[in-house]
Amino acid sequence: MATRKKMICHSCGQEMNFHAEKLDYVAALLNPEAADPDSGAILEEAHSCPGCGLTELIRPESK
Amino acid sequence: MDTNRKLFIPVILGTPRQGRISENVAKFVIGQLQSREGIETELIDIREIPLSHSDAGESIKHAGFSSAAMRADAFVIVTPEYNHGYPGLLKHALDTNLKEYIHKAVGICGVSAGPFGGTRVIENLLPVLRELGLVTIFWDGNFSRVQNIFDASGKLLDQAWVKRLDKFLKELIWMAKVLRHGRENVPLE
Repeated sequence: MATRKKMICHSCGQEMNFHAEKLDYVAALLNPEAADPDSGAILEEAHSCPGCGLTELIRPESK
Repeated sequence: MDTNRKLFIPVILGTPRQGRISENVAKFVIGQLQSREGIETELIDIREIPLSHSDAGESIKHAGFSSAAMRADAFVIVTPEYNHGYPGLLKHALDTNLKEYIHKAVGICGVSAGPFGGTRVIENLLPVLRELGLVTIFWDGNFSRVQNIFDASGKLLDQAWVKRLDKFLKELIWMAKVLRHGRENVPLE
């Protein structure tokens, strides 16, 4: 399950908005234990900052 | 949304080839972007991005290119059509980023010496851009017979191109504004 904890922008300190998910199949080849069992890929989340526009792609804390 | 932040829309010149006429197109697009309020732009020339050819993808990120891509709200890609496809170096450069592109707008200006204005390179590039997380607009720039559009110094010879590009840029800017608002304010769930 994806984390719903708000990320804080390391550049300007504002709360970021979670707006996209991406499946990384190549990362799952390197680290199969971390793969999401439903997709076989590692799920990544995109969070963007309304203050400065920075986007971070992170892996959820739990799967 | 911080409305004081200008939209940043860099123009990627997608060929390193010597004698490229696409450079005239890229400079023309930059001029048209610069004439609009609230827009910042700059040229990203893939010839000037020193990327390794012994690896590929995010592991060979170039700090300057990635930083510009992160700051961008949208992109214009100016690309010629080589053997019905996109220049290899353009793909090599695009593949070095991912998070920098997600939910950002992109429009393509195809360039060709023949009559089709890069339609085939545009069609080939669209699925690549989608997989990179970019959002394609539904206007294209089709610079057919580009050798007749600019003089030897790069000066535009036919002002009709200003109007043609205006439609493209209006759509791109609208999409850039909407997607910035979405990225920064509309949660996925």
